[in-house]
Amino acid sequence: MENFLEQMAELFEVDSVNLNDEIISFDAWDSLTGLSIIALADDEYDISVSIDNILNSKTIGGLYELFNQK
Amino acid sequence: MNFNPISLSKRRYLITGAGSGLGKSTSILLSKLGAELILVDINEKGLNDTVEKCSSNVTKLIVDLTNIKEIKSQIIDSVRSFGKLNGFVHLAGRPYISPLKSVNEKTTTEVFMLNTYVGIELAKICTNRKIFDGDDGSFVFVSSVYGLVGSAANVGYAMSKAALHGVTKSLAIELAPKKIRVNCIAPGFVKTKMLNEISDSFDSSYYETLNNLHPLGLGDANDVANAVAFLFSDMSRWITGSVLNVDGGFTAQ
Repeated sequence: MENFLEQMAELFEVDSVNLNDEIISFDAWDSLTGLSIIALADDEYDISVSIDNILNSKTIGGLYELFNQK
Repeated sequence: MNFNPISLSKRRYLITGAGSGLGKSTSILLSKLGAELILVDINEKGLNDTVEKCSSNVTKLIVDLTNIKEIKSQIIDSVRSFGKLNGFVHLAGRPYISPLKSVNEKTTTEVFMLNTYVGIELAKICTNRKIFDGDDGSFVFVSSVYGLVGSAANVGYAMSKAALHGVTKSLAIELAPKKIRVNCIAPGFVKTKMLNEISDSFDSSYYETLNNLHPLGLGDANDVANAVAFLFSDMSRWITGSVLNVDGGFTAQ
């Protein structure tokens, strides 16, 4: 979990993130950050996700569940 | 009335990525033109399907191309029973969509290995006197419009494809004395399974956006196959070191 939170903080360009933080609330959220999340999921979690999957996750905690449910 | 300068009768070629997409369509077309083919892919099921659809003498070689140490001996074994080759087309490849901040060394190296270095290794193998027929040599690499123009989230893939343009020109000079021509095709987006898989990462407007990038619309795998046939045939006998844009006008804009 700690590693995941650090990865999210780096992608969203902030010092730290919380599980309740909404994905679209970050200033760094854009389509390229979405693609970065897709690439991270593929490279390090060995799962395929789409932009829709990411948006439907709504929060950092939702993303964590998405990454770990497949 | 038998004039047919694009005939590939009595020619033999190796085709990587022959089990799907561009490789499958290219194999079927070259076979119709009379070429005998060694069809290479890691995907046996796809390869079997391509073999069934080919009308000339073909043989299959199931191999992981990134296993550099193995491919030379496997190709030599295959050529021993099949006959020496006039050339190859390297169609096997993989996409890598990743913005800069998520690019990593491992995946970038893997993409470079399959998309680029394997092509160099194939050229090395196919110039070997045990492999090369000695006449009518033609090597074809397949890059991408993204080896020519920029696109966000594509740095690793663009590196691997742009590198092929340098490889093409360098080998064209080096291999001209051996009468081997070396060229590259830079395709735009064609409707293949790989494109569908990439498109799954995007929203529904992606296809429309892609289509608008091509003045002639998205391509078909046969559009690329036709270019390979041309570059293998005597119709291109004075062409070497070229990068042929087969992209429906993508890079004309």
